[in-house]
Amino acid sequence: MKTATVAFLMFALSLSGIAQTSRRTRTPAARGTRQAIQMVLQPSQSPLVSFRILFNTGSASDPQGKEGVAALTAAMLAQGGSRALTYDQIVTAMYPMATSFDSQIDKEMTVFSGTTHMDNLSNYYQLIQQMLLDPGFREDDFTRLKTDAINFLKVNLRENNDEELGKEELYNMIYANHPYGHQNVGRLSTLDALTLDDVREFYRNNYTQANLVVGLAGNYPANFPQKIRADFMKLPAGKANSVKILQPKLEPGMHIEIVERETRSTAISLGFPISVTRRDPDWPALAIVASYFGEHRSSNSYLYQRLREARGLNYGDYSYIEYFPRGMFQFQPDPNLGRQQQIFQIWIRPVPPNQGMFALRAALYEYNKLVRDGMSQEAFEVTQQYLMKHVNILTQTQDATLGYALDSRYYGIPNFNDYMRQRLSRLTLADVNRAIRKYLKSDDMRIVLITRDGETLRNAIVNNTSSPITYNAPKPQAILDEDKIIQDYRINVRPENVKVVAVDQVFQ
Amino acid sequence: MKTFLVVALLLCIPLLVVSQRQTQRKIFPYSYSIDDLPNGLRLVTVPTDQKNLVALYIVVSTGSRNEIEQGRSGYAHLFEHLMFRGSEHYTPEERDQILKRAGASDNAYTTDDRTVFHEVFSKEDLDSVMRLEADRFQHLKYDQSAYKTETLAVLGEFNKNSSNPFEKLFEVLRETAFKKHTYSHTTMGFLRDVEDMPNQYDYSLQFFNRYYRPEYVTITIVGDVTRQQALDLTKKYFGDWQRGNYVPDIPVEPAQSESRTAHVDWPSPTLPLVAVAFHGPAYSDEQIDKAALDLLAPIAFGENSDLYQRLVLREQKVDFVSPSFDDRMNPELFTVFARVKKPEDVDYVRDQILETFKRFSTELITQKKLDETRSRLRYSTALSLNSNEAIADNLAPYIALRRTPETINKLFDLYDRVTPEDIRAMAQKYFREQSRTIVTLNYKPATGGQTQQ
Repeated sequence: MKTATVAFLMFALSLSGIAQTSRRTRTPAARGTRQAIQMVLQPSQSPLVSFRILFNTGSASDPQGKEGVAALTAAMLAQGGSRALTYDQIVTAMYPMATSFDSQIDKEMTVFSGTTHMDNLSNYYQLIQQMLLDPGFREDDFTRLKTDAINFLKVNLRENNDEELGKEELYNMIYANHPYGHQNVGRLSTLDALTLDDVREFYRNNYTQANLVVGLAGNYPANFPQKIRADFMKLPAGKANSVKILQPKLEPGMHIEIVERETRSTAISLGFPISVTRRDPDWPALAIVASYFGEHRSSNSYLYQRLREARGLNYGDYSYIEYFPRGMFQFQPDPNLGRQQQIFQIWIRPVPPNQGMFALRAALYEYNKLVRDGMSQEAFEVTQQYLMKHVNILTQTQDATLGYALDSRYYGIPNFNDYMRQRLSRLTLADVNRAIRKYLKSDDMRIVLITRDGETLRNAIVNNTSSPITYNAPKPQAILDEDKIIQDYRINVRPENVKVVAVDQVFQ
Repeated sequence: MKTFLVVALLLCIPLLVVSQRQTQRKIFPYSYSIDDLPNGLRLVTVPTDQKNLVALYIVVSTGSRNEIEQGRSGYAHLFEHLMFRGSEHYTPEERDQILKRAGASDNAYTTDDRTVFHEVFSKEDLDSVMRLEADRFQHLKYDQSAYKTETLAVLGEFNKNSSNPFEKLFEVLRETAFKKHTYSHTTMGFLRDVEDMPNQYDYSLQFFNRYYRPEYVTITIVGDVTRQQALDLTKKYFGDWQRGNYVPDIPVEPAQSESRTAHVDWPSPTLPLVAVAFHGPAYSDEQIDKAALDLLAPIAFGENSDLYQRLVLREQKVDFVSPSFDDRMNPELFTVFARVKKPEDVDYVRDQILETFKRFSTELITQKKLDETRSRLRYSTALSLNSNEAIADNLAPYIALRRTPETINKLFDLYDRVTPEDIRAMAQKYFREQSRTIVTLNYKPATGGQTQQ
């Protein structure tokens, strides 16, 4: 359902940052080493010119105790002034062009993106290159963006959006004591102490030629890439960010965190790390599984059919093999969230609290069934066919095509659409079921529930209390029979691994 | 004098260039065709050069505005859900399989004035998708049990939205500002009505019978398609659809005679919210009223406004302020929303917003600002038409309002005619104290609830 509220809801989730003016001290290395700027160019006849300026750095590069500085730096560049212009002057300059310059931060990637009509290319580029290469780093921008970052965690995530809270906390739980172990915007315990000097230092160390890939698409002049290349040579050469991110080591067994807050429903997220990314030959097979089991926001998937369509438990139920933030606002994922490590994730949208136990059990029951039985030939074929065509929808805009091209470069695979079609066409049911057994079987499930009255839910979980469900309408016998299994389906967790956490402890 | 002229020319030339370039082309740059079937159904076809993909948007000019009976809010939206519950020749599972084999992205949404069913898929699947769609629009079939289950999914949607205080603010604003007109409830509906939905199977059938009729529907097809292909399929699959005869009697909202306020106590910690609204005009591509206020909205309250720059950037008392003034069939609220960082600043922020409304009722905006805003609207539209799906998605609201893409061109012609004097006159006409509603929301622990004055 779309309403006029969309803009505000999006805002409630948007990230912000912090900024500050720097003296712009360039490291001597900046001029010394000549290094070619990496570019991904997609010339076309489109009158729109799209930029995706990607730095291979992100919140995984936040120094310990300075969590949030990567996001704050990105925000300072995209939502703060340049040295030549204050932020309000930039907004004023972009106003008649209807353009913006946005940042997206993830663990290992920070991307700055914007699209302009070619009428305004020169003016637009002038603004954004100043923002990125010659930032203002002013104190008032810094104060504003730091407050925004704190409120993003404290208000938007903790208090205004149970689903995104659950998903983000699941990542924090899985990646505790790991470079991915804090929300991309930072921690509430560290954000307040960050200074403008921290931002300057992060900028100096991470915004380097070696970490940079410039993506450009549209009907830009032939010599334009050359100009960009020359301009971005102003950045220090630096060294490529080559930190190897390892799979997290989890304590064995299922762990459950119940985040308690005053809310009318119960949101559930569950998952565990997988060792597969797009780089891996088995990724297309797992993409089939995730789509079959829980294609994002689609009624054509298994979990959705069992929980929402057959039982009316909630609004939707999905599964993922890649990070997909802001899922409630969009049908297609954003590109440039490339990671060395991913998780398999199940997202159960909020259910009435008295059905929380049943919904959790149903999710575990269906997951275990998937691992035990795999997919059928028919389900395999139809999902294979779906994905081979659906890749065109993922990349239907120029900006998305460019984003996917940058990601393919990161993962070392060819053009995403060709690669997927080719790989998917070669797969067999046996390949997919082998991938399920190899990657999706885990005894170390991590589960986050957002609910009121956490202790009651905890007791029900640790005592494996029966959770029968009743309906407002007659159901087929097969569903009722299955419900009998689900209502007593054993949640195999040790009591000490089920914790109730007050919401104000999250993101600390 | 000479210097002045040079400066003036330097300032103006770039704008004139932009303006000339922009006005040479129609704002909706694609050729399109309109075909009307004898049963009242309309087809709009927009061929584009984006190969392979087709976007099919079926726009029903029915939304929560049509929910005229007491206790029946939320049914247009419920109906959007029920349309996925099977039809005479296809079970929901068969429907999912067909769309899945087409690689389709499919969904639907509902607003005050429209319900839109949309799919994007490969062009070779157009025939099978049109056949499928025709079946559910003409032969929807769902039993009591499926109906009741779907009402729970709608309640689930209400639940997932309920942690966001803005949803509540918006609901109370509507209820306070409208006393007769159906815009008094949100598209989601009141919780009490949503909870009663399982008992209203018969009413749901009546709703379908009234509104899912060809005279309410416009099929919009954008992409790798020809007019003839689209028309042949539309005639083949929708040609026998029977015209209906129901016309709802939408209550007219009486003029508000005194200002209203309401406050929401929110039970969990959050930042305070403020909404200041005035009754504004309905959508029109002929009357200047709405167009003038459309131009004023970003000038007075947008990111580039003095208000935004003061409250958000300099004083940093709010982290969000934005106008909201959608195109609606009937007179809609012109609203400014803000999120305030500290509770003690709520009154100040409210007063600053009110001052700004007052300011533009007396002050003339500059020609330069007006030209820049027109430029912004034009480029913003051009930037948004970046795929078949995006073109169809942008068209849908206008199709629901006027059943033709031409209304966008007419609207932008109106924008070109608006003068600073028009804007001031419309601000004076609509931003009057007696037609104002202010709603605030703040955290109040323990016993929550809403109070209204």
